[in-house]
Parts: sequence; C-alpha cells; structure tokens
Amino acid sequence: MRNPVLLHKTASQVQQELEACIGCNECLLACPALDEALTIDVLNRETFGGPISAPVARFARSCYQCGACVPPCPVGLHRDAMMMWLKIRLYRSGEED
Amino acid sequence: MRQDQAGHRAPFFKGTEQPSIDRADIVIVGNGIAGLTAALQARSFEPDARIAIISDQNHPTINTPALKQFAVGKLTREQLLAYPPGTERQERIHLIHARVEKISAQSKSVTLANGSAFGYGTLLLATGSMPTALPSQLPGRDFDGVLTLHRLQDYLDLRRRLPEVEEAVVIGGGAHACETVMCLLHWGIHVHWLIRSAVLLPRMLDETASEMVLERIRQAGATVYTSTEVIGIVGRVGSVIGVVTNHQQFIPCQLVVACTGTKPVTTLAKHCDLPLKHENGILVDDHLRSSVRDIYVAGDVAALKNPLTGQYEPRALWYAAVEQGRMAGAMMTGHREAVRPFGVPWHATHLGDLSMLYVGNPLQSPPGSYVLTDTSRGGYRRLLLQGERLIGYLSLGPMQPDSLAIKRIIDEELPVRDILKGLLKGEFDARQYLTRQRTYTAQDLVTSGRLASVKLSPVQTTAQTTPEPAPAARSLAPATAAAQLEPRLPTTEQLPPISTGPVAAPQHAPASAPAVHAGSRYPILHEEEEISPFTGTLPALPEQGQGQAGTRLLSGDLPSRQEQGRGGRRNLWAYSDPVLPAFPRQSPAQMQHSRSYSEKREGGR
Repeated sequence: MRNPVLLHKTASQVQQELEACIGCNECLLACPALDEALTIDVLNRETFGGPISAPVARFARSCYQCGACVPPCPVGLHRDAMMMWLKIRLYRSGEED
Repeated sequence: MRQDQAGHRAPFFKGTEQPSIDRADIVIVGNGIAGLTAALQARSFEPDARIAIISDQNHPTINTPALKQFAVGKLTREQLLAYPPGTERQERIHLIHARVEKISAQSKSVTLANGSAFGYGTLLLATGSMPTALPSQLPGRDFDGVLTLHRLQDYLDLRRRLPEVEEAVVIGGGAHACETVMCLLHWGIHVHWLIRSAVLLPRMLDETASEMVLERIRQAGATVYTSTEVIGIVGRVGSVIGVVTNHQQFIPCQLVVACTGTKPVTTLAKHCDLPLKHENGILVDDHLRSSVRDIYVAGDVAALKNPLTGQYEPRALWYAAVEQGRMAGAMMTGHREAVRPFGVPWHATHLGDLSMLYVGNPLQSPPGSYVLTDTSRGGYRRLLLQGERLIGYLSLGPMQPDSLAIKRIIDEELPVRDILKGLLKGEFDARQYLTRQRTYTAQDLVTSGRLASVKLSPVQTTAQTTPEPAPAARSLAPATAAAQLEPRLPTTEQLPPISTGPVAAPQHAPASAPAVHAGSRYPILHEEEEISPFTGTLPALPEQGQGQAGTRLLSGDLPSRQEQGRGGRRNLWAYSDPVLPAFPRQSPAQMQHSRSYSEKREGGR
C-alpha cells in the first residue's frame, strides 16, 4: 500500500462514538478542511452506512486528519477516527464501482 | 442491496395510493431519539415489518443536547436534526401525528386523541420526560418570565426574550443549570445562580470538583448562591421583577429559569387497561420489558434497576436513550442476540468551560476499594479502584479524555496497573493502550496454538520472552514511524518490557511490513467483514506450507485471506466485543513485569 494510514478506532468503537454524538456541531465548527455547509446529521448517517453523498465524499477527501475536531468535543469523541472510517468506506465504494 | 430494498418496498407502496394503516407490527409512541433509534434498529432487522411512530411533536427528531448551542446562536434550527430529513420515509417508518390517549393491552391497540384505535404487535413507549416545574405552592410561579428549558419551543421562547433581559435568576444544581448559566452569560446577562444544596451535582461530583466548577463560573461573571432556595417570585403587571430567597434576600431580575430536573412522562402507564408498573418512570427489566406483555419502554421514561442501590430510576441521558432505543429495536424484532448490556453509567458534558467525565461509580465506597485523586494540569481526577480494577472515574479539566475508552476499560474490567499514572494525571493515551491490548490478544492467540495456520519456530518463542526486540522485529519498525508517534507516547518506563518498541507501529507501518506488530512480532489479523485499509489492497500470497509460516512472519509478510479464514474467526480489531477468553492470559515476561511493578509499588508505600 502506498499511503499507510493510522487506524484510531475499530468499527464497533466508531459506531459507539457515533451513537454517543450529541450533534452539537463543535467538531465541524473547528474543522479547517470543511469548506461547504454540512450538517452533523448527514455526516453521522453516512459515516455509519448507506450511500455517501457528494458533499460528504468531498469532505471525507479533504479531511487531512489534523485532529482539530477532537478537543472541542464536549463528550470526548474522536471525529478524526470517524472520518478515517468514512474515508475507508469511500475508498471501498470506489473500489466496488 | 438496492434491489432488495426495492423488492421490499413493492408490497408496501403498491399502486398509486398508500393504504391507510390502522395497525402496525411495531408501534412506537414518541419520536425522541430513543423512539427513532428503536425504529431504525427494528427496520435493520426486519425489512418487511410495518413500523409506525405516533407522536404529537410538531418537528422531527432533534439532538436535544445541542439545544444549548442553539441557545447561544451557534446553530440554526436546521442543524439540530438528529437524522437527515426524509430518513423516516426512506426507511419506511410511518409517522402519525397524533396524541395517544390510552393503551388497550388486552386487545393490543392504542387509542388516539381523535378516538380511533391503532393496533400493534409490539408497543414501545418512548414518551420521554418533562421538566420538573417549580413547586405548585410557590407564590408567583405563573408570572410571565418564569421558564423551564426542555423542548425546542422553550429555547425559541428564551431567545425571543433575551433582548429584554438584563438580570436573570437560574434555579437548580445540575449540569443543565450550569449550561443555562453559561448561555445567559454569553448574552451579557448578569446571572444569579441559586443552588439548594451546598455543592453542585451532589450525586456526581465531590466537594473539590464542585468547588472547582463553581469557582470557574464565578470568574465567568455569575453570582452563585449555595444552600439557597427561592421562597417566592415577585411580579408587576404579570411579569417577573425579582425573587425572594430563604435568606430573606430580594434579587431583582426579568427572567427566572427553573432547571430543577426532569420527570418521566408516565401518563400512558396510568391509562393502560392492564397494570403497567410505574413509579418514578415505567419499570422495566434489563431487556426493557415492562410488566405487560409486548410492551417495551425506552428512553427517559424507562426506570431501570440501579445495580448499586437496587432502586428503579430513569437514566435521563442522551447516550442512555440511544442505547436503550437500540436494545428496544432488537428486542421488539426478536433479535436478542444483538442485545448488548448497557455497562456502567457514563456521562460526559461541559460544566462551564470545564469538561466533566463521570464513568462508573467514582463516589461510591464498596468494600476493598480505594480512591486516588489528582489536581495537576488545571483539572481534577478521582479514581476509584478495587484491587487491580478501575470501577469509577471522575475527571474535570480543560480537555475531555477519551471518554468511551475509559468506559470500556471499566466495562471490560481491563487491568489498569500500567496506565494508572496516565489515568490519574490525565495523560492517558487510550489509543496506545488499546493497541497494546490487542497485540497481547493476538500474541496469546498465536502462542496458545489456537491459530492453526501459524506455527512458531523455536527461535521466535524464545525471542518473545526476552524483553529486547529481535533485530528482525526492529527492522520492521522503521525509525520514521517511531519518530512520528513519539509525541503521542507517554513515558515507557511503566510499560511492560514486551512492548518497549513503538507499539502502534503496525497501524502506521509502511508497505514493507503492513501487519506485523513491531513489539510482538505477530500479525494483526483481520476478519474479512471488517473494513480495513490493509485487506484487499495487499497481494494475497500463494498458499504455503505451515512450516514456512513462521519464517514468513519474520520476513514481514501478511498471511493470505484464506489463511486468516482458517485460523479461527476471531475479530482482533474489535476488542470491544465480549472479552476474549484469551485475554487475561499473560505472557511470562508480562507476569514478571507485573510482579516487579506491584512489589515496587508496595515498597513505595
């Protein structure tokens, strides 16, 4: 593999984190890579499963795992880990197509 | 997959007219997060079931904890949605806007406000909670300007009133009151905060933590009155002009916000033809079953048994509601195998500008337990330990730790000996710790011979017990990967010798050694269903004899998928799954280490 990745969390952990997300949007407000309107409901839903829409796919590609989303989370979740799984799902879906 | 969905959809939306339904297999009362989560979970198990949510709420399910961000203008209404618009329709969940008046459990139907009956196969009550208003005998409680904050409408009302408010009184000693105080301070309002008890959140915080939070709130500009109650609200022409406290003090204000807690909405339990046990919430067992057959209860309205006190009480928290919704969805569709236990209580929130994390039962004192506290790094941490186990964790500080990782450590009773210092000082690196735990599991799996396809050469077995990594292993962890991880790794002096290498290397390693752990020198294996960036991208190796497997491990290659399949379907990525039986086993080196560590510790005392 040309670009090694660091996996922060396992699938079940990411799912648990998504469930614990209170939807305050603090992570998105802190994100330096997000350059279009995106809401947490869409992002959470598509991180979890189902088809990935174009804005979420663009966001997943532009995320460079800086970790700026982690400190603002009031409940101590790791959005960077969730984004990594989204990246993997995106990569997988591209592979299938 | 899409074809499947279309196939399921066909009988449901046949023809141009959607049939009016007066019965559903699964009926859910209330479209809060517990209700909707249950509906979605049930749909994932039963693609053909008829699912209906009955609610009189006039907006879709929202993230209620995010209402605080809405109150300070950080979010718009549209950003509050818990699921994207149209999710219910997409998942074929029938939404009925009505109020349920009573339950006929004998005929298995509910009666709506318009008098019509609606049949159910299984019923879920997720009616949530309502704020405990000020006591009914309190003079002036009906004046304009006396509010509770619970629903979206309440927050819209608050925002409408803000321009006219200069001083406000907040009543209550919980996290909600604390958030409300911070919200009003944000808008430049002078806040008087009245707390009945001497400490904040007496069931969650100890005195030190409470005082720490209150001091921060005072610094932020609020006036805090502890051990103070309101005995009357004074008004003029129907509007609030102040409150009178039990210390005969008059505090002028234009707004009174009562944040005195919530109570479950148990009206429906009273209007059920069979006895639906309720007290403080509707009583349910560990699987959310009520006292009436085919009626389940989830969310703020469900009263579960607290294992510590034996009392039935609701867990009115967001995460608890989501978990209960998931469990209810699985139970109602008969998928008991998907039910996972709730584990210990977990609450993470902001208290002022501090992050609070409460896991387990840090304030209890069961026999044989001891408490460790620490106040470094501008925070406060309280650990409750019993032997080698962590049973409670309270943390307060500028940064939230990896809260769910700590919950897992308590839930799964993982040993904390090696991470005690990190936990206590608030420097705990969950990722590093859990990676190492996974490695031990993998190592144990290999050394115990349960992984049939991997046989170890004698050289390797002996190398494993020596603390110093073998040269081959070192070469697998290039200096670059180690250097990248360096800042994240805490001091390695308390780590077992087996893992003195860069423990997270396999996740970080380049193509030459993608799946071999530098510390343990064994492969991290993947289950095929598990999404992994490693599988699928690496060329599968040709089938080789078992004798060559050990050599191949040292050369840093990955076993092929076929081999993984043969070697037992163990999911090593998901250490969260019920603790593997292999887990508590320790390698000789590890055992030696733990002995020396405890000796050292005892000697230190």
